[in-house]
Amino acid sequence: MTVQAYTLDDLVKRLDPQATEGASQQYFLNLGPQHPAAHGVLRVMLFLDGETVVRAIPVLGYIHRGIEKMGESLSTRQFIHLTDRLDYLSALMNNWAVARTVEKAAGIEVSPRAEWIRTIMAELQRLQSHLLWLGVLGMDLGAFTPFLWGFRDREELTYIFEETIGARLTMNYVLPGGVMSDIHPEFAARVKKYVAYIRPKIAEYEALLSGNVILEERLRNIGRLSAEDAVSIGATGPVLRASGVALDLRKASPYGAYDKLEFQVPVGTVGDSWDRYWVRFEEMRQSIAMIEQLLGGIPEGPHMSVKPAVKVKLPEGVHYGQLETARGILGVFIAAAGGSDVPYRIHLRSPTFNNLWSVTRLAPGWRIADLVAILTTLDLVIPDIER
Amino acid sequence: MALFDPKGARAETRQVAGKSVAVLLAPRLVRRGFLHDVFYGLKSLLTGMRVTLPYGLTTSRIVTRQYPENRGTLKMYERYRARLTFIRDGQGRHTCTGCRNCEKACPNGSIIIETAKGAVTGKNEVQRFIWRFDACTFCNLCVYTCPFDALEMKGDFEHAVFDRRLLVYNLNSYAGPHASLWDKVEDEEQRKTLATKISPYDGKVPLAGTSMAGCPARAHGEGGAS
Ligand code: SF4
Ligand code: SF4
Repeated sequence: MTVQAYTLDDLVKRLDPQATEGASQQYFLNLGPQHPAAHGVLRVMLFLDGETVVRAIPVLGYIHRGIEKMGESLSTRQFIHLTDRLDYLSALMNNWAVARTVEKAAGIEVSPRAEWIRTIMAELQRLQSHLLWLGVLGMDLGAFTPFLWGFRDREELTYIFEETIGARLTMNYVLPGGVMSDIHPEFAARVKKYVAYIRPKIAEYEALLSGNVILEERLRNIGRLSAEDAVSIGATGPVLRASGVALDLRKASPYGAYDKLEFQVPVGTVGDSWDRYWVRFEEMRQSIAMIEQLLGGIPEGPHMSVKPAVKVKLPEGVHYGQLETARGILGVFIAAAGGSDVPYRIHLRSPTFNNLWSVTRLAPGWRIADLVAILTTLDLVIPDIER
Repeated sequence: MALFDPKGARAETRQVAGKSVAVLLAPRLVRRGFLHDVFYGLKSLLTGMRVTLPYGLTTSRIVTRQYPENRGTLKMYERYRARLTFIRDGQGRHTCTGCRNCEKACPNGSIIIETAKGAVTGKNEVQRFIWRFDACTFCNLCVYTCPFDALEMKGDFEHAVFDRRLLVYNLNSYAGPHASLWDKVEDEEQRKTLATKISPYDGKVPLAGTSMAGCPARAHGEGGAS
């Protein structure tokens, strides 16, 4: 496999130097950083021939906040609240990824109840994230109804989080040793009610979107990502699974309560936009099934095994932990000098960064309107790309 | 037959990383000639109409909440994190000992505590508990860390002001001992001297009360709604 690298200079250079001004259809265009069809401050430099994309290069740096650097002066417990601000739609899973890494490094036991809470919260949030994605996908492809519906159904989940955690988006809930507070007494009843509410809604989405000829034609065969390309780019999550690789950490190396759950991993066949759409859509149903199973048995016990006053000291060395967020594998590298709860260096392997890069392979040959479909099925959250 | 068959997904078992994983394969969309596509297209559009039309007819499905019209009935959840406050007993006394655990736990320096030895009690007493509302990220670590249950998060959320300096203030309403130290003082006369009342904007609270470029100093109560 050959890897072709372009610089920004290549982009603005004409492909065909012979072509005279005016006669040429080739030009260069910025998609973003402020663009209604781009989610957040994503800038993609496009070299176009007419409306067809010849090259696409994502340009980063518009929302870099230095979160990894900040991690070098904060204890890991304090650092966790910054991970809410990576992929904010997977905030609890980001919290969990850091907490797990710290627990593994420091040898902290977590009670089954805490693991149960973490798992159900993670699945609720995966559902929430996919609902938002579905709404935005509809919006990007020209349908306004799914956008309203996505937000409507997501809102109910937000209330569930609000009641137990006290926050809607940046939740800072999972800490090393467990979770910050026990679930609200109303929690299980509310989630049960929500599951009953969302099931028919998913069927409604299916009738409105999945079976709609416009949506199908906007997604079918658009932007095929082969399994080889997906793996070589390092794509994970639904993007990788849509290309036919059934790698899901919830199955491949179960954590939390996932080993006790029964679920299927949705995978695509050819890796086009339709497959990416369908994989996420089916994941919502799998998440609902998991939530129902989890509601079946709530283990008793403490929700936290580390006292707030205890410093969680990390042993010297490099520690790594990862888990599956709504967008793919989030890896946490912690290099510790030992004897302190402040890491020497903390690095995050964020799923969206790699997933975004597949646009360099996917975009060439497609029209700008198709590029919007490709970008939206990659499910990008820009703050996750640059920390 | 519809092009999209929701039951068209195939289940199978695959080996991934040495484990057998139950997977569900995506259904493929196929096209069956021009005429079929035209009719299928029409049908799918009508299906969409059928799904969305009832929403226009039944207003009971409307979920929009009218804020601020519903202010009277709007209730936030009890755990909602919107404003940090001291927990006070019936006599308005707090339980903060000035141990500074919350100050150390805060990831962004939003809490600054000034303490002094009390003349009567001889113990550490909080003079000013400064909370920088403008810098706080509502991570809740201070409430979580406090060993004396002195802090809580309140749910009132309408805090917009025109001057950022008004978001930096003292949480304590008096400079003096916490409730249980207070109870140990027996002498009535001495008790009267224990606490000095302070206002939220007393003292050298950072920013508040000082002037900034283009923004003159303001006293408490100024600048808010005016
Ligand atoms: S609020 Fe609690 S943690 Fe903070 S200084 Fe007072 S007693 Fe200590
Ligand atoms: S909520 Fe977090 S940021 Fe705000 S004062 Fe407390 S510890 Fe600091």
